[in-house]
Amino acid sequence: MASSQGGKRVNVSSISPRVEDTFTLSGKMVGAQVRRVEDPRVLLGKTQYVDDLDLPNSLALAFVRSPYAHARIVSTDAAAAQNQPGVQLVLTGADIAEAIKPLRVEYEPAKAPTHKPCDWPVLAQDKVRFVGEAAAVVVATDRYAAEDAAGLIDVEYEPLEPVSDVEQALAADAPLVHEEWGDNVMQTLQAEIGDVAKAFQEADCVVSERLTTGRHMALPMETRGCVASFEPATDTLTVWSSTQVPHVLRSHIALVLDFPEHHIRVVAPDVGGGFGQKGHLFPEEAVAAYLARRLGRPVKWIEDRRENLSASLHAKQQAVQAELAVRQDGTILGIRGRFVGDVGAYSEYPWGSAFEAGHAASSMPGPYKTPAFSFEAVSVATNKTTIGVYRGVGLPIGVLTMERLMDLAAQKLGLDPAEIRLRNMIRKEEHPYTTIIGAEVESGSHRESLQKALDILGYQERRAEQQRARTQGRYLGIGIGCYLEGTAPSSAAFASMGLNLGGYESATVRMDVAGKVTVLVGTHSHGQSHETTLAQVAADELGVSLADVKIIEGDTNAVPYGMGTWGSRSAVTGGGAISRASQKLRTKMLRIASRMTEVPDDDLELAEGMIRRKADATPLMPIKELAHRILVQAGSLPPDEEPGLDATAHYEPPPSTHANATHIALVEVDSDTGKVTLLRYVVVEDCGTIINPTVVDGQIQGGVAQGIGTALYEHALYDENGQFLTGTLMDYLIPTAIDVPQVEIGHIESPSPHTPHGIKGVGEGGAIAPPAAIANAVADALAPFEVRVDAIPLTPERVLGWIEQHKAAA
Amino acid sequence: MKPAPFKYARPGSVDEALALLQAGGDEAKVLAGGQSLVPLLNLRMASVESIVDLNRLDDLAYIKRDNDTLCIGAMTRHRQIEVSDAVQAAQPLLCRAAAEVGHLAIRNRGTIGGSLVHADPAAEWPLVAAALDAQLVLRSQDNSRTVAAREFFLAPLMTAIEPTEILCEVRFPVAPAGAVWGFQELCRRPGDFAIVAIACLLTLDDSGTCSAASLAVGGAHSTPLHIADVEPIVVGSQGDAAVLTAAAEKAAAAVEPSGDVHGSADYRRRMVKVLTQRALQEAWGK
Repeated sequence: MASSQGGKRVNVSSISPRVEDTFTLSGKMVGAQVRRVEDPRVLLGKTQYVDDLDLPNSLALAFVRSPYAHARIVSTDAAAAQNQPGVQLVLTGADIAEAIKPLRVEYEPAKAPTHKPCDWPVLAQDKVRFVGEAAAVVVATDRYAAEDAAGLIDVEYEPLEPVSDVEQALAADAPLVHEEWGDNVMQTLQAEIGDVAKAFQEADCVVSERLTTGRHMALPMETRGCVASFEPATDTLTVWSSTQVPHVLRSHIALVLDFPEHHIRVVAPDVGGGFGQKGHLFPEEAVAAYLARRLGRPVKWIEDRRENLSASLHAKQQAVQAELAVRQDGTILGIRGRFVGDVGAYSEYPWGSAFEAGHAASSMPGPYKTPAFSFEAVSVATNKTTIGVYRGVGLPIGVLTMERLMDLAAQKLGLDPAEIRLRNMIRKEEHPYTTIIGAEVESGSHRESLQKALDILGYQERRAEQQRARTQGRYLGIGIGCYLEGTAPSSAAFASMGLNLGGYESATVRMDVAGKVTVLVGTHSHGQSHETTLAQVAADELGVSLADVKIIEGDTNAVPYGMGTWGSRSAVTGGGAISRASQKLRTKMLRIASRMTEVPDDDLELAEGMIRRKADATPLMPIKELAHRILVQAGSLPPDEEPGLDATAHYEPPPSTHANATHIALVEVDSDTGKVTLLRYVVVEDCGTIINPTVVDGQIQGGVAQGIGTALYEHALYDENGQFLTGTLMDYLIPTAIDVPQVEIGHIESPSPHTPHGIKGVGEGGAIAPPAAIANAVADALAPFEVRVDAIPLTPERVLGWIEQHKAAA
Repeated sequence: MKPAPFKYARPGSVDEALALLQAGGDEAKVLAGGQSLVPLLNLRMASVESIVDLNRLDDLAYIKRDNDTLCIGAMTRHRQIEVSDAVQAAQPLLCRAAAEVGHLAIRNRGTIGGSLVHADPAAEWPLVAAALDAQLVLRSQDNSRTVAAREFFLAPLMTAIEPTEILCEVRFPVAPAGAVWGFQELCRRPGDFAIVAIACLLTLDDSGTCSAASLAVGGAHSTPLHIADVEPIVVGSQGDAAVLTAAAEKAAAAVEPSGDVHGSADYRRRMVKVLTQRALQEAWGK
């Protein structure tokens, strides 16, 4: 097949989806910059997303969504809709109240005593709690007919006073989002570690900050969606979903539909981005699964962009008040922080929306040695779209807060912003270092990453350039953002917070008669290149080439029970499970090979497709020959050996696996318009051992793009009545390719001593520090105006307002 | 985001299109490049009985010079204008404005006529049409008339066109000798609709003294706004700072902006002042 592109003829068939059959010079695939296995499929448009699945006889769903932020449902008249051509069924909340349980997040009360659970009905029952909440569903022959009919459903609402922000929500006479709570507080977390009051008394300098972050969202390019199908002959419900968590989805569909889990299969096909948003069971998926069984026909629900903007999950709207106490030399004595999160109407299922504020608060100390720390994190319900985990979760807010405070302290003390950070950072020789929140930071490169980032930027030259520019009326600014991220959280970490959630991962590794390897793993790539990186891990463990490994994810009938992909976990936990399972398999192979070659198994290794003698790398037998002997010529196996060549492992990551990075932004601010232009962006990251530098670079570049959105553009806005104002991508702005600079990336590798290969997580990192780096850069640029950067996103009008405020005061 | 049902016709000639509109009355809607109408239909923010699709009307896609007039067929795509040597030679401001319309994919499909009739007050074509005093040739089955752009725009998304009419041609004056221009657009991201945009055309003599001036504002009023009051301030001057400030203040005083999520009314008014000054500076080469 050939196609014409810009006058050049390209032979498409030559772009093979198979990987080059190579070994690297080092003999190691981990660390090798191999091409992504996924690229040919993605670049040629051959990926299969859930909407590409067209089952015969399928029906389409459209949801009727609330136009009110807070209203009682008086009545619903669906008669006109039911009579529309093509309409099969219309259901309201009352119709499914018995059939589908509400989504209800429960924490372990002993661990989370202040947490209040709430029911999220899959279709609104007595009242609606946010604009966009599903109140009814139409099933029709296609989405056009379903939308036509949805427009004819007459829901009579009695509007209630909406809770439109946290200040109102916390007032004594506030209307209640969930009446049974008695107030609007979902959870309050408090902690004091060390003597904070003393730290502030003894400080030479105290700086404080109040800031707010904009409500925004993950906005995956592929919206949410699912296809559900029921096969009566086998009593099997199959749900194909654009999800990050296939097994979690299966368990919770079973729970809310009260249908046996072993009769449910969830398949996650190619997923076009998720960033946390697709790590949940959603009301729409539960409804689709129910309808497929009820109607005996496949049903498809593909969310449109307006639904995704208004009715999926939002994130990260918090109001923060924080203080930092330091000595004259900049040494940190104590930190106080209060984080109030606007969690919206319900609780993301099954993890819970109260997670984010606490995560933000506890991330404040970051890479800085902090002797005393107290925080309060309050999660408050309002009549807005529910918040959910989004890349970095609370970290971007905690880091923004801390990094603003560090700059304010530096300014007050007359220190360089880089210098105050260097003085407080955990030093390399101090690892393992136990932080104020009790995390053991096993390794890292805090000072080194900052120094390297300054070098890449040419820090002193940029400072000189900044001075020159100011004399010409141009305002350049340099902003630093440093973070420490606990990646790949463990099961114990979740248990300590009362969350019913595992941090482990599972993998099965199988070798076939030709010596090729199939890996079945419970993670699910939604863009993270697992088919490449996880294959690199398996290839090294089993001494085969990359082309000899195939990674399978996303099908609960195929892969062992796992937790999916989120929380910068897959390289650590998926890679860990694959390493462990491969090691089991390798042990068996070498044991059998030892008997065949009469070389002790301790002296054997698997490498370059061969069983080799370790000492001198002498090849003794091809791996495929051994595989054939074990699988096919099983009669010749020693009698005490089981046949078969597969192994399964469940890997629990260490209590903490810490990645770190420094981001530096160079910006210019137009002091007449308030517009911020990013001139350069530098990242020096340390995610331990890098499996594939190209993939890490891609994660950084993409994460920074989203972080730029957080800092400069993205704002899901509501008016005072709780009306949603940003329902299209003309209103809700995200950075495009034009707005994102080529990130200048440096790498430092501080391997984890606790994980296989020393791998740490990197998925979220790129998105964590841009708000801090960019906000600091804007504050630095506008230092002559003494502006107080106290809110993101940094819209032109907001930035100009700060400048004008200063001018008015002067 | 699927449109409600509508009837669809794709006529092969302007006459056929006009006949369809005549028959359809108020219920028929013209589809040009589709870059605004199609999203509005998909969002069900607009619904129409029938669509008359002009995309087969190649005879409405042209750029012609007729002495001192540059005639552009209404179905000419933004990108064709952006890269046209003839337009660059006759009125380079148009190429500059065209380059700011959306993104390349939008410019390859969207048309000048579609943009003018859609009449978004923050769009580039309505702005330059008002600034340059373009004339719009409208045809119906029985009639042909020419309306000045400065009278064409009535309100956001509302114009003087009748439901039975098609905008066939846009006529711009060719820039006179000594003409210089300024074009300033402030938006959140490249390709967005303007928060505020300013287009101006000045005629300067050899000493840099302005003999004629024309300036319009986009994004800060219910329509693109030609600000005649700026002209007496600018004409006769050499664009010194006091003149630019006075002109900018005049422009800011003339607009009645409304706010949206990208900028409040107050911000837009202030930006009219900033960008007017910059546009005049740009024209003068200061």
